Amino acid sequence: MSQFLNSIGYSQWILHALVLLPLAGTIPVLLGDERSAKRTALAVTLLEMILSLGLWWGFDAAQGGMQMASSAPWIPRWGINYQVGIDGISLFMVLLTTVMMPLSVLASWSSITRRERAFYALMLTLLTGLIGVFIALDLFVFYVFFEVMLIPMYFIIGIWGGANRLYAAIKFFIYTMAGSLLMLVAIVVMAWKIGNTTGTLSFGYQHLLENAGTLGSAAPWLFAAFALAFAIKVPVFPLHTWLPDAHVEAPTAGSVLLAAIMLKIGTYGFLRFAVPFFPQVALSPGVSRVIVVLAVIGVIYGALVAMVQPDIKKLVAYSSVSHLGFVMLGIWGVTVISVQGALMVMISHGISTGALFLLIGMIYERRHTRLIDDYGGIARVVPLFSLILTVVALSSIGLPGLNGFVGEFLVLLGSFQAYPWATGIATTGVIFAAAYLLWALQRMIFNRLDNPENERLTDLTRRELVVLLPLIVGIVWLGLFPGPVLRRMEPATQRFVDSVQPVSNTARLGAAGPVAEARR
Amino acid sequence: MIQLDMSTPQGVALGLLPEILLSGWALIVLLVVSWRHTTADDSRLAGWLSFAGIAVSGAGLAWLWINNATPAGLAQMMALDSFRYSAAAIILMCAAGSILLSLGYLERELLLAPEYYPILLLATCGMMFLVGAEDLIVLFLGLEVMSLAVYVLAGYNRANAASSEAALKYFLIGAFASGFLLYGIALAYGATGTTNLSLIGAQLAGGRLSLMAGLGLGLLLIGFGFKVAAVPFHMWAPDVYDGAPTPVTAFMATGVKAAAFASLVRVLLEGFPSAVSVWQPVLAGLAIASMIAGNLVALAQPTLKRMLAYSSIAHAGYLLAALWPGTRLGSGAVLLYLAAYSLTTLASFGFLAALGRHGERSVTYDDIAGLAGSRPWIAFGLSICMLSLLGFPGTFGFIGKWYIISALVAEGQIILPVVLVLTSVISAGYYLPVIMSMYMKAPASEEAHTQVRLFPAAAGAIAVSVAAVVLFGFWPSGALDTAIQSAGTLTQTAMPVAGK
Repeated sequence: MSQFLNSIGYSQWILHALVLLPLAGTIPVLLGDERSAKRTALAVTLLEMILSLGLWWGFDAAQGGMQMASSAPWIPRWGINYQVGIDGISLFMVLLTTVMMPLSVLASWSSITRRERAFYALMLTLLTGLIGVFIALDLFVFYVFFEVMLIPMYFIIGIWGGANRLYAAIKFFIYTMAGSLLMLVAIVVMAWKIGNTTGTLSFGYQHLLENAGTLGSAAPWLFAAFALAFAIKVPVFPLHTWLPDAHVEAPTAGSVLLAAIMLKIGTYGFLRFAVPFFPQVALSPGVSRVIVVLAVIGVIYGALVAMVQPDIKKLVAYSSVSHLGFVMLGIWGVTVISVQGALMVMISHGISTGALFLLIGMIYERRHTRLIDDYGGIARVVPLFSLILTVVALSSIGLPGLNGFVGEFLVLLGSFQAYPWATGIATTGVIFAAAYLLWALQRMIFNRLDNPENERLTDLTRRELVVLLPLIVGIVWLGLFPGPVLRRMEPATQRFVDSVQPVSNTARLGAAGPVAEARR
Repeated sequence: MIQLDMSTPQGVALGLLPEILLSGWALIVLLVVSWRHTTADDSRLAGWLSFAGIAVSGAGLAWLWINNATPAGLAQMMALDSFRYSAAAIILMCAAGSILLSLGYLERELLLAPEYYPILLLATCGMMFLVGAEDLIVLFLGLEVMSLAVYVLAGYNRANAASSEAALKYFLIGAFASGFLLYGIALAYGATGTTNLSLIGAQLAGGRLSLMAGLGLGLLLIGFGFKVAAVPFHMWAPDVYDGAPTPVTAFMATGVKAAAFASLVRVLLEGFPSAVSVWQPVLAGLAIASMIAGNLVALAQPTLKRMLAYSSIAHAGYLLAALWPGTRLGSGAVLLYLAAYSLTTLASFGFLAALGRHGERSVTYDDIAGLAGSRPWIAFGLSICMLSLLGFPGTFGFIGKWYIISALVAEGQIILPVVLVLTSVISAGYYLPVIMSMYMKAPASEEAHTQVRLFPAAAGAIAVSVAAVVLFGFWPSGALDTAIQSAGTLTQTAMPVAGK
């Protein structure tokens, strides 16, 4: 496989192709007629997915640095280059994005009936933005993609969303923008300060990373700006209030992409930028304590609030707050295991929560209600739906053998030494997750079938099965054989941990080496 | 590169080529309209003639710019440098845009007195003198020519009370501002014995700022503060912008502002570079006040025109912030942002003119509900304008803001950029509802937008502006280099990094 990829020069053009293809795809979508828009969009996203799958083989698993990197001058006067590349951290974010996208398009097949051309053109633009965010190696380019992504999502929520969509859309936009604009100032300050010290004004990631140590007293402020932008995106408690609104009001495809991919941009930002740039600030005892406490509060608070939601979509939305708390804990655990765990949670959460939102969307299309109490006993009417919902819910809970378990276990294992108390408390989050999801399952698909309206529900169609099947495969595969994924992540996480380790507590070192070796 | 000796008639004729061509052309158009000034055709003829005049003047300007004309010896009266040329280019662009917007608008509103166009040309001529003035007397003359012409334009819709009110208000406040400016000039002359900016700068260099010179600088700043509508000298702007015919508002919000800012840059950097510690805090205060007040008050505006009026106050704040560093980078940022802001604002007011049906002056947010359904291109273009004003990546406005932030950060200033971005977030609160209304709300009725009409000339001007906003948003390098080079002719202040 890799020989074939080499022969076509795959690594030279693939990243550019992944960014440009969806953007180019908007043209036939917009020029075609309304009916064919979804087919064109599906073809483009499928092509994108197939192209991206080559990354799995083309990627050199032994290497921790950036691969397939390339750079072209964009605004030379400001030292801005269009610079892209991937490593073991971004690889899976890109793959997750390209896999979720065709599924989201398929999921919108019958639910989006108005202004289809615009919808699918926006979806494709969003795809470009998402890929761009994960592969950008120049902070200007990153910022541009980070912001540009907002527009399509703003429209997707605002035009095709639920009853309260206008409020949700503007809240989503303003929250994200408020954080990111301060980050913009931080980026400029950083580049200029480093430019003054080194004599080269550049927004290149590597250049800034290598010289970030010279920032001195500005570092805490810069970290704060980056952290705020990403914490809003994650979202870290108490900055999460935009999330339930946006997730609930968005159409199914929007919720899926928000949960599966856009939330990961926050944690990805911490892993890629905020922590490696300023390890001495990010991992200082004070900041660590704050972040870890907020992460644990997120885990518990998200789970508790999810438990009392009457609306199943809101329940899943709050469960995201809980899961992303694990990711934050894993990143701040700063061991290879915990960071790999964090990445695994990011991937599994993308798959499981994506699947949950898809399932909710499917049942909503039939019954036009998301209230848990309106259902009950539907396992008898829609057995296939109920089966899949149960599997997905179990994976979200973290049942061993399914994907959710791997990540959360690694996070807890890896962070325990550094934060025994916090990890202990976070563990209860898993129990709460079982509580809210199983309880919801019980009320929705088990119990008595007492609402006559539910008796006429139809089971999943073939299209819907096609949408869900890849996710189910992913859930089981990642749960049983996480090895190949972990192996590809390991050099990059090792590099991350090494780069920030000298300043973090020595106590955390213990677990990294031998265990990681053994697991291979 | 040619050198012009401005002490010979020939040198003056060449050095003032764009201004001479334009004012001559304005007089010819005036002659033409004195014979033909009754029908819509006459008005259109005058409009296109004036547009041609702008083009001719632009050709003269291009000749000077391409040949990189510089003065032999010290610049007298009028500067010959790239800063003047690029600022004048922005002004000609604003004038050309305003003329194209006016063509259809004046017919629709039945404002068929074609003297409108020569007046507009003369205002443009005043602006070009203003941005090139190397001498405070020329500066004042340019300012007055511009202002008097614009007072007339603001009140051009005589039948409309709001328009007349706008003209009167603008005239009274403008006269007041001119008074401040003139007194400032007099004091500066008293303190230094000269009205030439470079000589004032040389006189003031080294020593402490005398009380008289300081007072002169303060009064000049107040005068300019009125002209650029910076808080707290902004009270006139919303009513005047609101009342004036929309193409005139576009002209005031872009051309007048650009001319005043370019002139302010020159006065501060050439005349008062040694007083930088005096004017920097003043500029910072004005900038912060304008950004905060402009953006906050814009949130509460029910009509789009008033919203844009307040937003232009906020943008004056951004520009003042760009001026704060007093470096080459800073004045480059002023130029670039003026270009970005002017292009976007011209297009926005153009759309607004199309949306305001005959006789109805105020377009509210609800009036444009569901516009995207029936007029997708207008909605799309207006959305891009709003995003550019908001400073969103992928638009020229973002490049402008990025540049301002860079210029400030390069001088170690953090407070202004932070205020700038935070107030930009506030501005999302009124720019986004425009997009929201057009795309996400249902139209009031089926026929809600049938009367919306974009005239071909205006459509052309808007299309070019919007295309430029997007194009420079993605490929800003050309504009950037021009701005930096032009700014470099004005000030040679050291630039630590990017000055290669």
